[in-house]
Amino acid sequence: MEPEVIESEIVLPTHFSFKKTQMYEKYPKGQARGRHWKHLKQIIQAENYQNYPPNEPNYVNIESPPSMHPCKRICDITGFEAPYLDPRTSLRYANADVFKLIRSLPNEYVQRYLALRNAAVVLK
Amino acid sequence: MPFISQTQRQTDYHLFPPSHPIVIDNGGSYFRIGWAGETEPRIIFRNIVQRPRHKATGETVTIVGDHDPALMKYFDCTRSGPRSAFDSNVVFQFEIMEYILDFGFDRLGADQSQVDHPVLITECACNPVQSRSKMAELLFESYGVPSVAFGVDAAFSYKYNQQLGFCDNDGLAICSGFTTSHVIPFVNGEPVYEACCRTNVGGYHVTDYLKQLLSLKYPHHMSRLTWEKVEDLKMEHCYIALDYASEVRLFQKGAKEAEDKTRCWQLPWTPSPAEEPPSEEEIARKAALKERQGQRLRDMAEAKRSSRINELENELKGLEFLLQQLKHVEESDIPSFLAQTGYVSKQEIESALVKVTQSLRKAKGEQVESEEKTDPSASEKYTLIDIPDNMLTPEQLKEKRKQLFLKTTSEGRQRAKQKRFEEELERERQNKQDEEKRLENPELYLEQLRDKYTELSEKVEQRKRLKTNGGHTNGNHVSGGVGRGERLNAAQKERMRLLTTAAFDRGKGEDTFGIRDEDWQLYKLMSKDNDDDDGGPDEDEAELARISSRLQDIDPAFVSKTESGPVSEIPRLHPLTKEDFHIVLGVERFRCPEILFHPNWIGVDQRGLDEMAGVSARRLPSKGESLEKRITKSILMTGGSCLFPGTAERLEAGIRMIQPCGTPIRVIKASDPILDAWRGASTYATAVQFPQQTFTRSEYYEKGEDWLRRYQLRYTL
Repeated sequence: MEPEVIESEIVLPTHFSFKKTQMYEKYPKGQARGRHWKHLKQIIQAENYQNYPPNEPNYVNIESPPSMHPCKRICDITGFEAPYLDPRTSLRYANADVFKLIRSLPNEYVQRYLALRNAAVVLK
Repeated sequence: MPFISQTQRQTDYHLFPPSHPIVIDNGGSYFRIGWAGETEPRIIFRNIVQRPRHKATGETVTIVGDHDPALMKYFDCTRSGPRSAFDSNVVFQFEIMEYILDFGFDRLGADQSQVDHPVLITECACNPVQSRSKMAELLFESYGVPSVAFGVDAAFSYKYNQQLGFCDNDGLAICSGFTTSHVIPFVNGEPVYEACCRTNVGGYHVTDYLKQLLSLKYPHHMSRLTWEKVEDLKMEHCYIALDYASEVRLFQKGAKEAEDKTRCWQLPWTPSPAEEPPSEEEIARKAALKERQGQRLRDMAEAKRSSRINELENELKGLEFLLQQLKHVEESDIPSFLAQTGYVSKQEIESALVKVTQSLRKAKGEQVESEEKTDPSASEKYTLIDIPDNMLTPEQLKEKRKQLFLKTTSEGRQRAKQKRFEEELERERQNKQDEEKRLENPELYLEQLRDKYTELSEKVEQRKRLKTNGGHTNGNHVSGGVGRGERLNAAQKERMRLLTTAAFDRGKGEDTFGIRDEDWQLYKLMSKDNDDDDGGPDEDEAELARISSRLQDIDPAFVSKTESGPVSEIPRLHPLTKEDFHIVLGVERFRCPEILFHPNWIGVDQRGLDEMAGVSARRLPSKGESLEKRITKSILMTGGSCLFPGTAERLEAGIRMIQPCGTPIRVIKASDPILDAWRGASTYATAVQFPQQTFTRSEYYEKGEDWLRRYQLRYTL
């Protein structure tokens, strides 16, 4: 290791005196281990919240409901208020200039703009 | 105001007795650890882990937090980016969490056989019990922590500000964090989780939105827009508009205020060295070089010519000598004599002599005027033409045919010459007419000429385009149609038609192909390079050339389209200017943080911060006008994402809209939205009753998971 790297101590040591079980003991090197964690979705599923009274707060039921206000539509490119929707790309746009622009956009960019508001076509 | 982490290793760890709690604020973006009772956390770093490969040794190492980018050049980070232990706001990867805790305790100075201090650590509201128990297990098993307590960061922040006197016993904590935003109501100083509300939008989403928008706007500077840089931009420039619609209208109109509000980030840019026109010397040097090369070529040509003249002269001499000799040779000996020389007859030698003299003359540069000379004698030359065939011997007949051929060709030449001469005359006449017109009214003339030029050039262009391909003109088709889908031009279509008829008409009726000579023309039409054989300047092009040359003569401002055409087709690299390296932040400044109030702009179908407050108030179990009035009187904003200027005003306006008229509303910003949670936890851990809120390892294993599910800190001690 380079001297400045050692001096700055940015590399985490593998052994700590204050630990009862070291990392290398817990996860021995060279041993293939599958995914040993659950994603949040799986965690929530395993919690079985449906078995508990609904008035008891839990991670799922404290989420806020969909908005009551009508969604303000803004131009995907400029952020201006967007009264129009391009039927071909399904991008929202504010005026003719922006329309010209979105018609010249490559499809990849259109998809990225749509992905910003989670409206892109996902091909699986 | 970029946040600076502090990771200096502490040396006073052994001064704290084992009962002194360690306080950890385990936030989505930053990890803060310190001692209970102190006002500042000792260690702060970004809650991320990288596992790059060390370039020199090749071993995989662990790097926690953010570090000097200059040191990262020793590591190969291409295969692993920074990783977080969080999924949304829940810790789910405990291997990463362990690295982070290792680093945190190590920097706090822990050096004994275990971490022998109670730990108070923050978690999200209503943390799933799986995550909570894993965290407790990790602290007990790996670090030997005697006892653990879990609390919610927003609650600690509220309690801290309550102690400072900013907010009341009943109130509302609006906490906008890194990945989520919470609204937690407080009644009698205790959080009411039944009524709390979460939206999965936070500072992370704002930064990500800004980053995506900027990289879509400036695809060339994508590499400059790193996460850290965009985070800095967000903290420095983003603000929340009081009314998005009116603010954006300012920008749409291009008002003066909008211009003032636009920020511009100049990327490092060095002007490319200006191209200097070549100096006098350079030009002279180049001219000299060219001249030298030309001279050499001329010399070479001269040498070649003289050697050829020499050769021809020698041959001429030889032939003359041969003829001389031949005069002395007797008639009967001629064949044997000639056999040695290679010639068959005297005539042949003579004709060779004539040929050589002619080419010698040519080589010497004298004009060969044989054709001209033959002209006057045409009548005597074509002696046999007028004599009928039947009066001639076969040899004479042959001769006659030859003469006929010669005559027609020379006549043809003559005709062509005549025509050229006439054309010249015609052009001159036209030019003269033009000149007269010009002198009459120069302005009008120029105008007419220009009009004609544009018209003609368009016509020619159009024809060319049709000939090459019509496909490029039909506007935007997203996937540039290539291959079979491409439209064919007229000539190509005709060719395809010919090919198909040729292929499918076989065996239909009688095959008469080839009876007439014209049939074979078909193949010429079919051949691929037929398309351009009708080339050659047609009338329009000739006219265009004439006009353009004329325009060039009289109009100094004229630039020929046809000349500049092929040049301009190549995309000319214009030198990059300072403006090309500007990153302009206009609408983005308030568009990005606006997603906290309109989460569905990024596709999250939930309520914004202001509406969440209403939801929370409505969810309160003990409904009462007075309670609702009391909590709206003390609304505390905390968390890193409420640092945007204008948040308080916007929140107040938003909440006023949904609350009944006349409701007192007071929105307060936390004294330090980022560090207050840790400070609150730190003061909380110093209370005498704090040990009763913790649980030990044995308690945890005795009481089991169901107890842990219902475990909840009492914040009022």
